[in-house]
Parts: sequence; C-alpha cells; structure tokens
Amino acid sequence: MASLDAVSIAILLGAFLVMVGILSSLLALRFGAPLLLVFLFIGMAAGESGPGGLRFDDLQTTYLVGSVALALILFDGGLKTRLQSIQTVLAPSVMLATVGVLLTALITAPVAHYVLELNWAEALLIGAVVASTDAAAVFLLVHAQGLRLRPRVGATLEVESGTNDPFAVFLTLMLVELITVGESSAWHVIALFLRDALLGAVVGFVGGRLVVLALNRVALPQGLHAPFVATAALVIFGAAQSSHASGFLAVYLAGIIIGNRPTRAHNSVVTFLDAATWLAQIVMFVLLGLLVSPQRLLVSIGPAILIALALMLVARPVAVFLCLAPFRFNWREKLFVAWVGLRGAVAIFLASIPMLVGLNNAYLYFDIAFVVVLISLLLQGWTLGFAARKLHVALPRADRGPRRVELDLPGQLEQQLVGYAVRPKSLYLKRGLIPSWSKPTLVIRDQRILSPAEADPVTAGDYVYLLAPPEKAEALDRFFVDMAPSSAPDPHLLGDFMVAGEVTLGDLAGIYGVNVAPDEAELTLADYFDVHLDRAPKLGATLPLDSIVLVARSLGGGRVNVIGLRLPEDEEAPRPPPTRRQTLKRKLKAIWASVAGI
Amino acid sequence: MTITDLVAPEAVIPALKVNSKKQALQELAARAAVLTGQNERAIFEVLLQREKLGTTAVGYGVAIPHGKLPKLDKLFGLFARLERPIDFEAMDGQPVDLVFLLLAPEGAGADHLKALARIARLLRDLDVAKKLRASRDAQAIYSVLALPPATAA
Repeated sequence: MASLDAVSIAILLGAFLVMVGILSSLLALRFGAPLLLVFLFIGMAAGESGPGGLRFDDLQTTYLVGSVALALILFDGGLKTRLQSIQTVLAPSVMLATVGVLLTALITAPVAHYVLELNWAEALLIGAVVASTDAAAVFLLVHAQGLRLRPRVGATLEVESGTNDPFAVFLTLMLVELITVGESSAWHVIALFLRDALLGAVVGFVGGRLVVLALNRVALPQGLHAPFVATAALVIFGAAQSSHASGFLAVYLAGIIIGNRPTRAHNSVVTFLDAATWLAQIVMFVLLGLLVSPQRLLVSIGPAILIALALMLVARPVAVFLCLAPFRFNWREKLFVAWVGLRGAVAIFLASIPMLVGLNNAYLYFDIAFVVVLISLLLQGWTLGFAARKLHVALPRADRGPRRVELDLPGQLEQQLVGYAVRPKSLYLKRGLIPSWSKPTLVIRDQRILSPAEADPVTAGDYVYLLAPPEKAEALDRFFVDMAPSSAPDPHLLGDFMVAGEVTLGDLAGIYGVNVAPDEAELTLADYFDVHLDRAPKLGATLPLDSIVLVARSLGGGRVNVIGLRLPEDEEAPRPPPTRRQTLKRKLKAIWASVAGI
Repeated sequence: MTITDLVAPEAVIPALKVNSKKQALQELAARAAVLTGQNERAIFEVLLQREKLGTTAVGYGVAIPHGKLPKLDKLFGLFARLERPIDFEAMDGQPVDLVFLLLAPEGAGADHLKALARIARLLRDLDVAKKLRASRDAQAIYSVLALPPATAA
C-alpha cells in the first residue's frame, strides 16, 4: 500500500504546485513580472533547497514532459498564425531561424571557451543550447502584456521563434553526438540536417492535411473535436521524432495548416489549445524550477552572467543585423528583433539533453542555460513593452475592435453566428447599415431572445447575432464600433476610390499608369505602408505613390486593409480646402478689418 | 475639361434595368462596345479586373467603374441611371443607382486620373446626385452633367 500512497502524494503535490502556478498568474499580471519567471520560482521554492524541500531529479520525466509541452506550445503557435501575415516575412524569419541561430551559437562559443575553459566542441554546445529564441516566451509575453506589435515585426519574431527550435535541437543533438562519439564530416552533418528538416516538413504537412480531413469528415461527438486535434498534434510529433525527423517543425507546420483551413469546431479547438498551452507552460517551468539546485548554481553564476550578456548584447544583435540586412527593415525594427530574442524553456530543455546522455560536466550546461534564461526573462521580458514603445514598433491600443462572439453552426462550414453588443454610436444603430453578406438572425434584449422582426427597432444595449461567413466576421466589426465624432473631412482627401490592402503596386500601375520601381511591383499596398512608414500606420495616414496619394482608410490587425486613392486634380478644379496658414491669414485679415473699422 | 467632354449625349442611359453588379457591368460593356467600336468582352474583362482590386462604388449610391483599354483613341465616358438600386459592395453598404463608366486609352496617364477625380467629385455632390435621380430622360441628365463643377468643397 505504501507505493500507492506515494502515487497519491505525488499527484497531490504535483497538482498543488500547478494550481499555485495558475493562481500566481494573477499576481504576475498585477506586477507585470514575466509570468514564466514566476512559475520557475515556484518550482525552485518547492525544490530541494527551497522551503518545499522536494527532491526531484528525474531527467526522463523532465524530458518527456518538456517534449510534450513544447510540442503543444509550438502547435498552438502555428494554429494562431495567419498564413497571409507570414507570407511576407517567410524569408527573413527562416534566415533568422537557421543562419541566425548558427551565428549566435558561433559568436557565443568563444566566450564560453575562455570563461569556462571548455574545449571548442563543448563551448559550441553551450552556444547552441542558448541560441534559439523561445517561441513560448515570445508568444506568451507579447500577448500577456496586451502588446500589439507592428505586423511585420511581430510576424517575423513569431515565425522565427516557431521555426528555430528544430534547428537548435538539431544543432544540440549533433554536438552532443560529436562530443560522445568523436569526429564526423561536415557533409554528413548537413545531409543529416536536411533530412531531418525535409522529413519533418513532409510529416507536418501530410499530418495537418489528414487532421483537417478527419475533422471535417468524421462525425465526432460534440466536445471531442478539440481533444482530437490536440492528441493528433502529439501523434504527428511522435511520428516525426521516432522516424528521426524534426517533430518540432512537423507540429508547427501542422498547426499552421490546420489553423488556416476551414474546419469544424475551429473556435473550440483554439480555446482548448489555449488552455492546454497555458498548462503545458506552467508544468514545464515548475518542473524545470524543481530540477535546478541553487547551491550548485552559485558556482557557475559568474561565467553564466558573462555568457548571458555576451549573448544578449553582442551575439544576438550581430546575428540579427547580419541576417536582416538583405530585407527591408529599419534599424529600430532590427534593434527590437535583436532585443526580443527571449530565451525560455527550450534552452533549459536542450540543456537537459547532455545530462540525459551523461556527458562530462553535464550539470554545467544546465546551470548556464538556467541563468541565461533567468536573465533574459528578467531583463528582456520585463522591458519588452518599454522597448516596443520606444522603438515605435508597438501599435496604438485604440484600434482594438469591439468584442465579437463567434459561434460555429454544426452541419456546415460556410456560415457562423457572430454576435455584438449594440453600441449607441455604431454605424449599425445610427444608419441601420449592414453588409449584404450578413443577415441579422436574433436579438437579445433584457435576457429575452427575439427575432429581428420582434426586436425592431434595435436599441443600444441589445445584443445582435448575425449569420456571416467566418472569414468575413472581422469585417463586421466596423459596423459595431462607436464612431468617432468626426467632422466629416472633404471626401476627396480620403481618396476617391478604395482598393484592398492585398493589391500589389504592379496592379495599380497597370490600371492607373503610375510609375512603380520594378523591385517594388510585387509589393502589396499593405506592405508598402509597412515598409515606407516609420511607425505603425494610423487611420488617414498618407503615402505618395508617383502622382497618386495612398490614404489608409481601414486598419485590421495593425495592417492597412483598405486604401483610398487620392487622385491628382487639374488646375481648373475647385479650390482645395484652405491650409492652416491660409485660414490664419484670413482670420488676421478679418481681425484687421474689424479693428480698422472698415 | 468638363464632364461633357467625356460623355457624348448618346452615351447617357436614363433607366438601365439590371439586377446585379455583374449584370450591370456586362450591360455597360455592351453599350460602350457599340459606341466605341471596341470588343465587348475586352471591355467587360477590363472592368472586372479593376473590381477585383476593390469596389469602384464611391459611396452615397454612386459607382464609377473604370479601366484601361489599349486600343481606345481617347477617354470614353458613359453614364447610366439604374432603374432599381443594386448592391455594388460599397464601403458604406448603400445600394448603387448612379453609374459612371470611364475607359481610358493606354497612354492617357494624368488625364485619366484627373478625369476620374473630376467625375468622383461631381457625383459625390449630393445636390447633383439628387438632380440626376430626379431626371427622367437622357437630355435632362445630360444637362445636369454639363453643369460647371460645384464650387463648395
């Protein structure tokens, strides 16, 4: 019976720790501390040298839990990635994820070589372990702070951190093998990497497609869709890993594919994985906190701090500036990407591999990685919002849409139910406007459900539910926000004609005969705004394109999605509205006239 | 340049009967083909290509479909008042009943843009639009189009 008791106690303690982690998130949100750090500290406090006094050194379990948690986090990251938003940043992100990681590791290695007196392979292993930007940390810290980044910068960071783990994992495994087994040729290594990456991509792609197919074809009982997708992600991960392909790349890709196809129960899948990711995050960090031993940490803290500083202040910035040089980023954006190279659980997880294989000095890797992550989360995590605002890569909070409720309607995929609270100054209430592709279906007033006919006229404070195609739901927001009390400007200034943000400069040149630089013809108008405006675009922002002026008319997700074209007018055209100077002149004249008594 | 430099009296349709945006474009392309001697299909394609970038409805029930036709020798305008307003995917959601079609030759460049700006400005004037909606025959419509551009911005 004693062994059964041990299991019960393990469950009690484990669940209790995780629960404390969840409750502590309240505290962290209030004080703005990077949440992940709090989880780590709870683990440490419960550990052998903290007040908890728990002895935990089960590396197998740590590796298992870490793998599962990472797979879920990466999958969730992929699921939330809009294909449309990453297409433009694919090249820079992949560059950062491969060459960037290698450069970071190479530049960090000499520091490790000299301060820790390791041989070169071991020093490089230290570099590789701490070289990758942590997807979980980036996703979580950026979102938890309610920070909205300029789309190109945000997407680059997210895709980089999502795709660089496979490379860092590979680099680490290869170096561990090199240290244990000995020599191996460069070609062999490159071939190995290509095989891992390609096979991983194939498994992820095929797996993702199969999951979409299964979701839409198999009639699962209500509520099982989300767990099905989550376990399918782990199956894909496991399948890839056990066939020596990159499982991390595979789940990330599968997530992207599933998130960008119309599927049944999409909303419940996203909600479920959100919760699963949080849990994975907490469990992983608490576990890693348990594993560390602060006494041992004290021995290597000096060199570790040096390595952390070299990494954050030299290696990462150099790698980022070199990798992004061929792409259109301004220096502020590059600096931000360099600073937000957050290190997280992946580094600690990678550092546990040498322990698992039983390398010499294995604890050294773990301790160094632990300190580096700690410093990165403290220093970079805490200053994330500040850096984003100072470097003008944060978006103003103002253009947040209204709260929208989306409900799947089982039985079909074309339409969903979208709900809004009716605001007093919304376009919908004021002018009764609604796009032709949406259909008001029910109205909720004073806890009663009415048909639109019964509820007519709708008043402020009602809730309206409309049928609309899922991909257009966002476009409905416009009709339900409170309109700014604008003093209707000259419509000409807003642009005579409207085009969508995905239109390329080449398209415009074809129709309006404007001159466009040949290398910019493929650029979409939304990109054109991103590239040429120094800051996040605001409504009404203008940008010249030859003789036309482009005006940002509508923003979505921080990008310009509707653009007004202000066309040039000829000289006989009516007087343009007076400039401020002319108005001032006229006022002065009037004052003079009244003073002079004319 | 005034609007009537762009539109001939016979290029005014006082009551066009169409049910959809696509049908309206087809119908306008057919009329424009007769008046310009160009290929109807080509005109329709050009208009459709422009609509793909974003609707040419400018709000307040007005749409100005336009495009470039390489073989044309000068700017060509055609005005139609629709018998029944149709959905033109306008930003303000309003159905459209006043349609101005403008086709430009390949090298028109600045003239094309200026003409478009001029037309947009004229038709956005609520007084002008009201008069156009109240006019029953082609001649009355033509005389409204011939009015000098509104002075108030």
